[in-house]
Amino acid sequence: MKKRIISMILMLTMAVGMTACGSSGSGSESTETETTEETDAASEAEGDFVGTITLGMIGPMTGSLAVYGTHVSNGVLMAVDEINAAGGVMLSDGAYELAVSSKDDQGDSTECLNAMNALIADGIELVIGSATSGCTSSITSVANSEGVVLITPSGTADALTTEMDYVFRACFKDSFQGELAAQYAADEGYTKVGIVYCSADTYSAGLRDSFSAACETLGIEVVAEESVATMTEVDYTNQFNKMVSAGAELVFVPFYYDVTGPYLVPQARSAGFDGVLLGADGVDNTETTISEGTDLSVYNDFLFVNHYSTELATSDVSVSFVENYEATYGDTPNNFDALGYDCVLILAQAMESCGACDAESVQAALADTSVTYEVATGTFSFDETGTPIKTGVLMGYEYNEGDEEVTKIAVKTLSVE
Amino acid sequence: MVTFIQFVITGLRLGSVYALIALGYTMVYGIIKLINFAHGDFIMVGGYSLFFLIPVFMGLGLPGWLAVVPACIICACVGMLVELLAYRPVRKKGNKLTSLITAIAMSFVLENLAQAIPAIGPDPKIPYTLFGATISIGGVSVSSATIITIVVSAVIMVALYLFTQKSRIGRAMRCVSEDKEAAILMGVNVNHTIIITFGIGAGLAAVAALMYIAQYPKVFTTMGATLGIYAFVAAVLGGIGSLPGAMLGGLLIGMVQSLTNTYISSSMSDTFVYLVLIVVLLIRPAGVLGKNVGEKV
Repeated sequence: MKKRIISMILMLTMAVGMTACGSSGSGSESTETETTEETDAASEAEGDFVGTITLGMIGPMTGSLAVYGTHVSNGVLMAVDEINAAGGVMLSDGAYELAVSSKDDQGDSTECLNAMNALIADGIELVIGSATSGCTSSITSVANSEGVVLITPSGTADALTTEMDYVFRACFKDSFQGELAAQYAADEGYTKVGIVYCSADTYSAGLRDSFSAACETLGIEVVAEESVATMTEVDYTNQFNKMVSAGAELVFVPFYYDVTGPYLVPQARSAGFDGVLLGADGVDNTETTISEGTDLSVYNDFLFVNHYSTELATSDVSVSFVENYEATYGDTPNNFDALGYDCVLILAQAMESCGACDAESVQAALADTSVTYEVATGTFSFDETGTPIKTGVLMGYEYNEGDEEVTKIAVKTLSVE
Repeated sequence: MVTFIQFVITGLRLGSVYALIALGYTMVYGIIKLINFAHGDFIMVGGYSLFFLIPVFMGLGLPGWLAVVPACIICACVGMLVELLAYRPVRKKGNKLTSLITAIAMSFVLENLAQAIPAIGPDPKIPYTLFGATISIGGVSVSSATIITIVVSAVIMVALYLFTQKSRIGRAMRCVSEDKEAAILMGVNVNHTIIITFGIGAGLAAVAALMYIAQYPKVFTTMGATLGIYAFVAAVLGGIGSLPGAMLGGLLIGMVQSLTNTYISSSMSDTFVYLVLIVVLLIRPAGVLGKNVGEKV
């Protein structure tokens, strides 16, 4: 009997160990350092650089959310190349060249913290990262306690940035994103909405909070609310059965593209929900996770709030960003490209305005709420917490029967009234 | 009423996949009393084989599901290799605990090996969806994949049962399971029998993978870990070593998950799965259909 109990305990510990390892995406750690080469043209035109400023970059370069990391990286590297080609960053003692030290967090909080510590150990004071709120929230306290400027391209959770700290972002925050989504529902005249979200995730739960609060203010009734245990849940059928029986006309689904494409949307439709599915910025890139052989018409009426659309952004910086991106990578940029690009531009502008590249001076320059940044995703200033005050866009997916493809469409610019 | 039927169907949909995987666990356990933790990863091998083979088959104008045949062969080979290279040498030298640790190690080896193959890599892949049609009867919608999964699981269970009861190899399997030494004396080639068991168990994993990706079209290197745990719980719940037990355990776990989702709270389904497991094991330590014979791990 005793033997059995001991072995049972052993078994359970092992079982727990295995699940834990499973969710971490198992550990092939890849930490590569990419240093962008200075172009000959730049050095000839502007003479030699006085030195090099290395920016840290952390993002999910591999794993379920690899699209985020690789695109942020594309945007960052392109901005760095452009700045170096134009003569680098002018500080008080001359022009500096920018370089990037990139780390992979695999979309995992622990890996992200390791990456941050490695960058700090290398003496890096300005860090761009990470792509998801969950990962970023694991490194904000280190950034503040170590005095390292951290600017996240796409971490939208409200709690990431607070007043007078070292954390900034290039995107809007979830409470604002949730308000935009609710505003859209109100504009379209929906009165009964549902929410399917993940209560255990910072991003999903934060969006659910702001969306339902905004619905209450706008007089929209939340008729059903269902949660799943993890952001990697595979079955949403029961949740959507409840949405259907509660009579929801629109369901808010704050999830990431890795589940919306293969699981959530087809299952929602197969459970009989044919209303609007409204997601947030995490839904962008769903087109990469659609399974061939699925009835593609299920993706109709699948909309999401987003940071930026190449079709709706028309400023000079935005247009030249898109042109340059297409020339460099041969593809249309998405959110993460643009936000990664903007992070570098914001940091460069802050460094030039204070004439230094140490974390303390840059933090002070970024904390000045009167400065306007004109970057690819729009023109904005920071609020007291270091979050841009900007607008959002509504995008969606549309199935074209002609070419049998699901395409991404930009619907309109959204702002809170 | 519609909610109730829908909950039963979702439960069957989840449960039938767990049942298929649990069959593989229970077979191996029945023969060598080893909890093959790498079994979940055989599903991953099957998933990737199908991801690459289905487009090839469709390209040749054949039905996509036929790809399960070569996938089964690939999985069976991987299963037999694992037995040959890892379990057999360890079993000769060590005890049950060393075998168990080896099984866990093999699980990680398979995951990391897969990741190291450039065509697989660390990023998830989205396979082709088979059996995508949805059938709607009186307000209740069922995907055809769900029905096919349930039917396939039932057929395989019956076939396996008949195989172990009637065929020569099946009888040899039961001999080895009951008394290894006596089986050797009776002229049964034990190593031969064990390797065939691994082949069949792993081959079944490919069928489970086909059914799984038809409903949840995404493959990634660690997909087997969570699935494996559920299937393992299913096998223990039903009575590890018993084929009908594995099937029953799988369906039971699917039902419990679906029930919790529908009527209690969707974020608590795992809590209830393990709660049911503990309660069942307290009442019937050998599982629902298990026979309490001697010491179990």
